[in-house]
Amino acid sequence: MPNITIDGEQYEIEDGQNLLNACLSLGINLPYFCWHPAMGSVGACRQCAVIEYKDFEDQRGKLVMGCMTPIKDGGIYSVSADSAREFRGGVIEDLMTNHPHDCPVCEEGGECHLQDMTEMSGHTLRRYRGTKRTHRNQYLGPFINHEMNRCIACYRCTRFYREYAGGSDLAALGRNNQVYFGREQDGMLESGFSGNLVEVCPTGVFTDKTFSEHFVRKWDLQTAPSICEHCAVGCNTAPGAREPGDGEDAILRRVTNLFNHDINGYFLCDRGRFGYDYVNSEARIKNVLATRTLELIETTAGENEKIHGDMAPRDALQQFADTITAARRGRRRLIGIGSPRSSLENNFALRQLVGAEHYYAGLNARDLQLLHLVDRIQRDPRLYSPTTPQIENADAVLVLGEEIEQTAPRIALAVRQAARNRQKQHAQQLKIPLWQDASVRQLDGSPSPILLVGVDTAGLCDIASEHLPCTAEQTAMFAAAIACRLSGDDSGSPDLPEGLLELADNAAQILAGAERPLIISGCGNRDKATLHGAAAIATALGERTESPCALYLACPEVNSLGIAQLFEPGTGDLEQLAQSLESGEDTGMPVSVVILENDLYRRADAETVEQILAADEVILLDSLLNQTARRADLIFPAAATAESQGSYINSNGTAQRFYAVYEGTGFIQESWRWLSDAAGLCGAKAPSLTALASWRHSTDLSAAIACEFSQMASLADLGPDEDYRIDGLKVARQTHRYSGRTAIHAKAHVAEQPPHADPDAPMAFSMEGIQNAGETPLVANIWSPGWNSNQSIHKFQQEVGGPRRHADGTARLLREPQAMPSWRAPTGSAPRSPAELELVPLYCLYGSDELSARAKAIASVIDEPYAVLSEHDASERAIAAGDSVEIELPEAHFLVRARISTDQPRGTLGVPYGLPGLEELAAYLPGRATLSRLARISSTESGGTAQ
Amino acid sequence: MLASQLRSMWLVFRHLFTRNATVQYPDEKPYLAPRYRGRIVLTRDPDGDERCVACNLCAVACPPDCISLQKTEDEDGRWRPAYFRINFSRCIMCGLCEDACPTYAIQLTPDFEMCEYDRQNMVYEKEDLLISGPGKYHDYSFYRVAGKAIDGKDKGQAQKEAPPIDVKSLNL
Repeated sequence: MPNITIDGEQYEIEDGQNLLNACLSLGINLPYFCWHPAMGSVGACRQCAVIEYKDFEDQRGKLVMGCMTPIKDGGIYSVSADSAREFRGGVIEDLMTNHPHDCPVCEEGGECHLQDMTEMSGHTLRRYRGTKRTHRNQYLGPFINHEMNRCIACYRCTRFYREYAGGSDLAALGRNNQVYFGREQDGMLESGFSGNLVEVCPTGVFTDKTFSEHFVRKWDLQTAPSICEHCAVGCNTAPGAREPGDGEDAILRRVTNLFNHDINGYFLCDRGRFGYDYVNSEARIKNVLATRTLELIETTAGENEKIHGDMAPRDALQQFADTITAARRGRRRLIGIGSPRSSLENNFALRQLVGAEHYYAGLNARDLQLLHLVDRIQRDPRLYSPTTPQIENADAVLVLGEEIEQTAPRIALAVRQAARNRQKQHAQQLKIPLWQDASVRQLDGSPSPILLVGVDTAGLCDIASEHLPCTAEQTAMFAAAIACRLSGDDSGSPDLPEGLLELADNAAQILAGAERPLIISGCGNRDKATLHGAAAIATALGERTESPCALYLACPEVNSLGIAQLFEPGTGDLEQLAQSLESGEDTGMPVSVVILENDLYRRADAETVEQILAADEVILLDSLLNQTARRADLIFPAAATAESQGSYINSNGTAQRFYAVYEGTGFIQESWRWLSDAAGLCGAKAPSLTALASWRHSTDLSAAIACEFSQMASLADLGPDEDYRIDGLKVARQTHRYSGRTAIHAKAHVAEQPPHADPDAPMAFSMEGIQNAGETPLVANIWSPGWNSNQSIHKFQQEVGGPRRHADGTARLLREPQAMPSWRAPTGSAPRSPAELELVPLYCLYGSDELSARAKAIASVIDEPYAVLSEHDASERAIAAGDSVEIELPEAHFLVRARISTDQPRGTLGVPYGLPGLEELAAYLPGRATLSRLARISSTESGGTAQ
Repeated sequence: MLASQLRSMWLVFRHLFTRNATVQYPDEKPYLAPRYRGRIVLTRDPDGDERCVACNLCAVACPPDCISLQKTEDEDGRWRPAYFRINFSRCIMCGLCEDACPTYAIQLTPDFEMCEYDRQNMVYEKEDLLISGPGKYHDYSFYRVAGKAIDGKDKGQAQKEAPPIDVKSLNL
């Protein structure tokens, strides 16, 4: 480890860094703009200048750029030398000559890297008296606001957008002092990672439009560490909330990235960043609702749908408790339906209330079996679930039948970095340090092999060395063929067409030759064979190299793997429930169904859902009004992720705890509290009910889960528990600069009210308490003196880019290792009539996820219902792109717009999963349907003939 | 000992002939300079528009945290406070909000006499604070200096601004 001297102090540091990196890791403040910990150095902004001395005799030294200077043993540097300070001050003075006088009306103000660096450089007085350069802004879509005047031309935006995230529609245009960062013309930014520009841009050129609608400064946000609930990757987020001040309750204002070294690093996808707004949606349930039996003259409610009115929570709970009592006394059947989008604690509370034998997962058989299969595969000791840095490090990647760009976007971003590994290797051979970003990217050499098989997405095509769109069946056969070649056992190799065989040979060779191969698959195909195939390849690779092979299996929802842990394989699906309800009809016993945060219409076919919702009493706990809510007799308002505490298990089998950012509005509380309250009011006394009623803290439930399920034993030590204190104090959720404490509620009552108490977390809903608990995982307000922007994250890391200082509050599931049995690809499927098309799910970043689709900004960019068919099928049916077509299933039919794609395999019809308007189709995927064309709307309007 | 007492008595006696320093407030008002730091007002720019752009700097500078506001953006592109509230029952009249205000919207006035039987009446809203003039700074208009475009002031039309760049030109 080299020894260096900075300003007379001796330091021992890691080799291979640049000086800027080393200074920041050592806690020395050195201003910078163009350097980014995830993107390396380009030496463009000249802001991190320091003096390097030849030896101790040298008094003068020379000026070098910190970010471009490799550390050398015995090096002598000075950050605080006058000449270096003057130089940095001069650079920033130049950068500021054109900067507009905008800070008061700029969303970045108060968390602006440019403000911080200007302060740090000591440039306080503007001497420039000339004119300022100005630019026109562009419309960049509903997420990002553009204010080009504020640009300092550090090139971070295009480096992130184009080079890191693979976007192509944002570029540096123009030249010299007039360079412009924007699109060729107005329009929404195409990349699904555009939201990161808000954090990457050191000034206010790109700001969060959704945040601006209910803007407050960073210091006025109340924050807590949370987890993104919009997919199963489990990215850590820092949502911020604040009361509006007009007497209404707090609203969620925005979501920013919260660094977690092993999961999301510095970046989030746009679904995660802008999907938060569903919490503030008009459709939010804030009061207890109960059916009304009023005589109405007319209603818009459909057949079977119920009309609701507010009910006092106490009465509703009493009604709920009576149901439970009746069930306990054997006069009523009480069924509980859980949900993969609710926390483990909520699901466990429901299981406790109704009893394990009456508790169902809220998924259809196919989906639940897939999750159990993922769980089973991940237990195999020959493979492991890679973290994001491990994915970025892979030197060969095979993606099997999973549209990761849409279902696990953060993982796709990591795969994009993996594509550069050969280039990085080449750089290392040439002794070019990897942080020399521009030099490394100039190196020739083929990109690392990325094979996309059975994936329709165009998102990763630009980095794919092979892209093979094919059906799920072919994907599985292809996987089986690779696995056979890898294990050297050719007997089970399935019959593949010649072209595919060659490709399989090729793929097997690439994977076998790779040092760190990675297989990615998931539940996206909703096909077990795909998962089996991925597992077979990974295990074969693991056996070959005698070290575990990386296999990432993407699950569909935030707690999918968590809910699978609560059930034995083969039990708990909705079909079983429907069946048992049907067989129980003879007993004549009334049935009550408690549905936990779940829209059943998205989960199972119409018949099953009808069977379940025909129950005598339907009790729903949910956050948003949905189709299921229309059928419920009693609806309790459930807390959203940002309003509650609990645990989720991500696709990797990592359990993480999230904390409540703010108290929910109205009567909103966590679902488990409603259940616990109802159990408390219940007349019948049973040990399970008493236990449920006695739980006071979310952590009590976590401990109970850890106790009951051995694989989740680590849940008990996930993070600081409710009784944790630092110097006898809780951690404050509000910053020390939180403003308006004595005025915000003053309109209603001038005397201040005490803050809400938080019974669940060692955190307070106020400014009181420990402000900067950097050594705990409880800090979500990334701030440090002099570093107001999110760039201050390095003050919370062990070293720049490294893990955070404290234990990160995550724990892997402790599953018993169990090798997968050998597997052979299924041969041939049932023949399909020529009129039928195979329905295959497609996924959309905006729309496939139930909750984020209800956020205002995201809802505005969701596509109309559509379906994609191959050119061949389209011409056979005389369907043109844009035609209105009807997907006909035996039980339902859906009206969509036709799209035609060359990538869509023949005989298949791609339908977007869960897209608003097609939610109920999700349960039928994959399946078969016929397609018929309706009148061509555009041509009828223009007077053409309808066919 | 005796000398000291005599001296004290002499001093007290002498004060019978000096001018009285006590002001008979409230019958008699003391002189307060125009820049005396009393109750705040919200001023308007020379065009008569609200000067406050809801930047929140006054709120964060306020030691007793007695200012609260919410930014909203109008159709014309200007930022304005949707509400601006100050709880004068907490205000210590320190003037830090005036210091922090980047648009000269907040100005302190010599009025400090705010007595109420009901403390609730000490809560002032934007409507109570807005005056119709520019206060001490007659000519200053923030948006004429700022780079942000608003209705009636396009890019390049603020003070010391060059006309907007046409990216598609040669830019020589």
